[in-house]
Amino acid sequence: MIYLDNSATTRTLPAAAEAAQYYMSESFFNPAAAYSPAVESERAVNAARARLAGAMNAAADEIVFTSGGTESNNMAIYGSLGAMRGQGRLVVSAVEHPSVYEVMKRLSPEYDVVEAGVDQQGRVDVAGLAQLVTPGTRFVSVMQVNNETGAINDIPAIYKLVKREAPGALLHVDGVQGFLKVPFEARNCDFYTVSGHKFHGPKGVGALYVKKGTRFLGGQIGGGQEKNLRSGTTNTPGIMGMDAALQYYLANQETMWENMRTCKLRLAENLLALPDVLINGPAPEEGAPHILNVSFLGVRGEVLLHALEEKKIYVSTGSACSAHKKGKNRILNAMGVTGERQEGAIRFSFSAFNTPGEMDETAAAIADLLGLLRRFKRR
Amino acid sequence: MEQVLLVRYGEIHLKGLNRPFFERKLIDGINNALRGFGAKVRREQGRIYVHGIAPERMEAASDALTRVFGVHSISPAMAVEKEWNAIVEAAACLTEQAAGGKNVTFKVFSRRSDKGFPMNSETINHELGHVLLERFPNLTVDVHAPELKVCVEIREQAFIYAAEIMGAGGMPSGTAGRAALLISGGIDSPVAGYLMAKRGLTLSAVHFYSYPYTSERARDKVVELTRLVSRYAGPVWLHLVPFTEIQLAIYEKCPPKETTVLMRRLMMRIAEMLAERDGALALITGEALGQVASQTLESLCVTDDAVEMPVFRPLIGFDKEDIVTIAKRIGTFETSILPYEDCCTVFVPQHPVTKPEVKKLRESEAMVDFMPMIATALEKTETLAVEAN
Repeated sequence: MIYLDNSATTRTLPAAAEAAQYYMSESFFNPAAAYSPAVESERAVNAARARLAGAMNAAADEIVFTSGGTESNNMAIYGSLGAMRGQGRLVVSAVEHPSVYEVMKRLSPEYDVVEAGVDQQGRVDVAGLAQLVTPGTRFVSVMQVNNETGAINDIPAIYKLVKREAPGALLHVDGVQGFLKVPFEARNCDFYTVSGHKFHGPKGVGALYVKKGTRFLGGQIGGGQEKNLRSGTTNTPGIMGMDAALQYYLANQETMWENMRTCKLRLAENLLALPDVLINGPAPEEGAPHILNVSFLGVRGEVLLHALEEKKIYVSTGSACSAHKKGKNRILNAMGVTGERQEGAIRFSFSAFNTPGEMDETAAAIADLLGLLRRFKRR
Repeated sequence: MEQVLLVRYGEIHLKGLNRPFFERKLIDGINNALRGFGAKVRREQGRIYVHGIAPERMEAASDALTRVFGVHSISPAMAVEKEWNAIVEAAACLTEQAAGGKNVTFKVFSRRSDKGFPMNSETINHELGHVLLERFPNLTVDVHAPELKVCVEIREQAFIYAAEIMGAGGMPSGTAGRAALLISGGIDSPVAGYLMAKRGLTLSAVHFYSYPYTSERARDKVVELTRLVSRYAGPVWLHLVPFTEIQLAIYEKCPPKETTVLMRRLMMRIAEMLAERDGALALITGEALGQVASQTLESLCVTDDAVEMPVFRPLIGFDKEDIVTIAKRIGTFETSILPYEDCCTVFVPQHPVTKPEVKKLRESEAMVDFMPMIATALEKTETLAVEAN
């Protein structure tokens, strides 16, 4: 198997699975309980909280553990708008994940929701954004790394812009694809979303960074866990599993970046040698090290995906969350990638455990298949 | 007092000497639908009685019976001794459940099949109506359009019931032989299969897939649709036929305008071979006249020309809307509209021929030697026995 869909999810690291297992079967106590083994669980969770905060240069008490990216994104929006009085403008980039984009759509027309466009690479157009962020703006959401193309947004510049044009507005950054893959400092935003299973942690766990002093209601209501911002029995196995993955990542970050980048460049080079192949998004050496979006003209991405699947090579067309929805790809549309080029788009996403050999094998398989599949174009 | 289900059947009454056979098949169908309910099914004097179902599962059981072909209607009833006080108590209990304290109009309908019972039906209507009026002050009589019908039947026991739930009708499964349904994954074919199974046919189903042009989810969808049809039709043998090689050969070697009709001819051929293998005597398709280019009269003649078996097209005179209505009623619609591409839509030509000629199509088909490809496809065909429960 060659797994090149690491933006959809990653394989859980053995260390992460072991940590989760330990907190399921050994140290299984509810950290909110009063006896000493429970206190120990609580300490472990708080140590994990501190490490996660450290990875983005934040303070431990700015981290709220959640069930993952979707919850963090929903909570950031609803939890902060709920703490504000009156309506106003919300700015969302055209390429946000549905857990941001669809929430914003639902908030219209109660709020004045406007979309910020992206350039051909999939990066939010900062000059255009400056036009949209009016003094009455309440909330801005821009992702750190585009999940389709790997384009990296200039978050520090966007944060400065937002605070300058609309001092009362909050900036949320969806870091689901970006966290640990691309350097990030929490001081450049008010909210930052993290998802555990994108960096070899378990599924069902994530976090939201909330800048100290932000007026914020949080999410679900109940027993008051997570400083009353996110009630629900603490998911110790998930949190400790994610923490183990985080520790592994931090200890090996340079090598991991290097491995992903090597694979990405190798595959891009191999594929660009084939006829009628185009890169979507930033040049391979520029974007995030783990995402490469390529169009194979004259082939439907979905057909190529299934043909590769027969060879046990797994890739994606569009993000997995939208692969079930027929129709145009919203993200590529926003970048102006349309028609045949959009139809033939495939996203390869890498982990540090992929190898250059796999890239050669993948490219060779694609070269073979293109010959066959291009004979049978839709007339 | 015991709760039973009264099951009435329709057309079987007409079946002369074959009637016991049809009744037996109907009882098989009922037993099959009620598997796991602990039901005891008994036939007596043109009625079927279902005993032994726990009161809290009565609704689920009668719902399951609405999907059994050959059942005309179902009534959840109370069975009591043929004794006046018992009948009155059961009727009161039923009225209490149905009317409670509300203002309701009602009428008593009674039937006395056992002439040994001392009161005739008119007297029962009268007396029982009187007692119920006294006990329930909110009741009023309406003999023309009552909201509540209190029905009493005096047979080997006395049965008291209010509701008559309509069944699926048709003929019992397994009374008409076997036919093979071409199933694509769209809205029409499951409905066609349902309608023919309703006339007593046992089904085989044949599905063509074109991996990698269609996905594994498209395949799962067809398995699920077959399962939904089998809730009515009983077990279905589903054949999954790999069709890519044939489709690509048509695409490369035959006139582009004719690809769809040619594909239909080859599908029919393969379906006929599988049907023969299963002992089926006919093919079933979901075609409706004029719905698409391959369903014009000329196209249908050309597809029929490829096979010898009769081809049943129960939807031929239906509008799409009518088909959708049935699909929604039998619960296949939601699955049918899942957006996975099926092999029919993968290579649709821009301008398909709408008035193909048999002679020309035979010639086009002869341009390629399809026999070895058909043999391979049959060899690689996977067969599943699909069952609802």
